[in-house]
Amino acid sequence: MTIDIAFIVTAFFEILTALPLTLTITVVPLIFGLGIGVVTALIRLYKVRVVHQLAEFYVSFLRGTPIVLHVLIIYFAMPKLIDSLSAYFGWSFKSASIPILLFVLTAYSLTAVAYMSEIIRSGILSVPAGQIEAAYAVGMSTPQAVWRIVLPQAFGAILPNLCNLFIGFLHTSTFAFTVSQMELLGKANVVASVNLKFLEAFIAAALIYWGMTIIAERITAFLEKRVTAYSRGGMA
Amino acid sequence: MGKAFDLSLLGTFLPELLAYLPITLLILAASLFFGLLLGLLLAIPRLYNIPVLTQLVVVYVSFIRGTPVLIQLFLVYYGLPAVLGLVHLDLSRADPLLFVIVTYSLSSAAFLSETIRGAVNSVDLGQTEAAYAVGMTARQAFGRIVLPQALMVAVPNFANKVIGFLKDTSLAFTIGVMDMMGRGQTLISATAHALEVYISLAVIYYLVVIVLERLFAASERKLQQHERKWASA
Repeated sequence: MTIDIAFIVTAFFEILTALPLTLTITVVPLIFGLGIGVVTALIRLYKVRVVHQLAEFYVSFLRGTPIVLHVLIIYFAMPKLIDSLSAYFGWSFKSASIPILLFVLTAYSLTAVAYMSEIIRSGILSVPAGQIEAAYAVGMSTPQAVWRIVLPQAFGAILPNLCNLFIGFLHTSTFAFTVSQMELLGKANVVASVNLKFLEAFIAAALIYWGMTIIAERITAFLEKRVTAYSRGGMA
Repeated sequence: MGKAFDLSLLGTFLPELLAYLPITLLILAASLFFGLLLGLLLAIPRLYNIPVLTQLVVVYVSFIRGTPVLIQLFLVYYGLPAVLGLVHLDLSRADPLLFVIVTYSLSSAAFLSETIRGAVNSVDLGQTEAAYAVGMTARQAFGRIVLPQALMVAVPNFANKVIGFLKDTSLAFTIGVMDMMGRGQTLISATAHALEVYISLAVIYYLVVIVLERLFAASERKLQQHERKWASA
């Protein structure tokens, strides 16, 4: 076995150029997920009629199926849907003009909503009811109590989960390569095939992911200290 | 972009794909079996704080948790033949299934070792001390006192991991394994109805996940029967 260490270094920097795309595929869906996830979490917590059953099924189905299938299904379904819509309404618009990245982002966003909804729900549930009662007792309105008392505490509780979800989505962003996206893994494949050095290229890619994961963990540890500063024990 | 969408095809595809469910479950079961064994071995150095080994395990677990399983799969697929080539073992005709099981065993071992460590550490040290105080041996204390309590903590976590691993097995097709996804790929080449195949697959995976969730919930209740008496009192 000969491992070309020098090539790992070359490959590392070549693959690193794909990092912005990987981060886009990771972060954009999480932002969408956070926004819509809050809404679905509240729907599920307040048990809004009919919609709550739908939300329940949506979350359960997306969490119960492999994410690679979400990517593939959206990749094949969206163009068909768009083309039949545009044929129906007589638009001059073809799905071929839409970049594949948009389908990928849609798929991951739909997935992120399901995972986020679950995390946010657990965070809100973790805040004791006494907190909101105390907020009412000092004369706050419901929006004030939710915004000033519940959400900051819920956020502190879900930070580790958010970090795990970020790392999870960073890793699942590799599935985008199955629909020929040039993110880190796609790029690693190209670098590997061009130079016929597969092992070295994938080692380089693994190092990038590992580094990103460690950085994410460090940032979370720092943020956690800041966000949960109010509940730290010991001397003030 | 393929042919027109035809929902009735699900009726043909579902049984075709279900026939390959055993392969998917085989990958899951085999990698869980080896993963648990290796995970236990990995948990020991950290539980007993053995120097050097602990640091090695920490790096190993960090690497597995820090890299996508798809990358791990490619690393094993290209790396294992190279490593075994050193001892003149030829893997060029090995079934890709082997690489998948090796990858998922290595990967699940890291995650399961963390679950095992967390569960054992969650049992209060006073429990062991009390067991010694009533005259139990170390083995009795572990088997009768620590293990049942640790299992209770570990099961929900373990359940989540297993369901995660099941979904991860869907990546085996990328190195040409004939599991459900692999069969799906060949169905797509034969019929050009990609969307229907993927929807059928999603349905099957979802049903399997629901069955697994039910099974784990039942076992959790069984393990917690002693706890629940307290709560209802």
